[in-house]
Amino acid sequence: MKLQELAAKLGLKGLTEIYDREISGVYISDMVSDVIANAKAGNILVTVQIHNNVIAAANLVDISGIVVTQGKLPTDDVLKMAQKAEIAIFTTDLNRWQVATKLYEAGIR
Amino acid sequence: MRDPQITHFHTGDGQKGGRDSMTTNLTYRYEMVNIRPGYVIVERDLFSSAVRSYFSAEPVPPKEEYREGNRIWKYSGMAQSFQFDVRDNASGEIIKFRELLGLLYYGSSPEESDIHRIGEIAHENRISVYAAITYEAVDGSRNNLSPEKIRILNKCFNERIKTPDKKILILPDLFNLYKAVSYGEIMIDFGLTSMEES
Repeated sequence: MKLQELAAKLGLKGLTEIYDREISGVYISDMVSDVIANAKAGNILVTVQIHNNVIAAANLVDISGIVVTQGKLPTDDVLKMAQKAEIAIFTTDLNRWQVATKLYEAGIR
Repeated sequence: MRDPQITHFHTGDGQKGGRDSMTTNLTYRYEMVNIRPGYVIVERDLFSSAVRSYFSAEPVPPKEEYREGNRIWKYSGMAQSFQFDVRDNASGEIIKFRELLGLLYYGSSPEESDIHRIGEIAHENRISVYAAITYEAVDGSRNNLSPEKIRILNKCFNERIKTPDKKILILPDLFNLYKAVSYGEIMIDFGLTSMEES
């Protein structure tokens, strides 16, 4: 599934350009060290973190997109960094668990 | 731990229809293993204001003040982090990365810094630059990663990338960044609690 299709299915609001990238799975974490150690290339990252280090970690492991939960909004600097790294950022009012269930229902494993 | 027997190495070039698509038991040449969660403890000398950090895998991070020679080290802060080794699946060799404190993304460093300038040039060629920041030795000097370890780290991350043409370049701390940046700028979970509250 591509990012654009996922955003439409889950009703996610895009905060950056939505790149033409395939999603290979999901990783849910709020720790950058955990993301570096365990997330896989092509995963979509579900997190509440909006610190720029999340973008740095996501870029290192080639995350395809980030879903920021609970209505949090990254600053313009963080969005600029994500845009530069070609990592799409989405926001949603849902919490991580709700996003996880919707991703499962959408067929993402 | 996975069976170290190798059937195929991932090329990491992001191409379809090549070796990857024919491989059912995909594995990589280099694999992050022995991942140990823990804490980066930052401490200050009460008299000289010197700062140093170390990794602790203890379940409860140590915060006690202690004397070492003519210095008294006082707890100053901590971050959640991890240590890891890298296994060379071709030889079975385990390479330890205990010196590594964290990675600093060029985009997180000040715009006027050398690493930021180099990172911007590299970015135009789809290369993302990171600096490997290391822990201090007991005498306050830096435990830099060897050139071989830097090469292995680069291979370990690059062979996993799926995005075509994208590359990661991890450099040693040639810029003495450890003196200039705060721990919060390094990719460790410094201030995680305060970030969650913000």
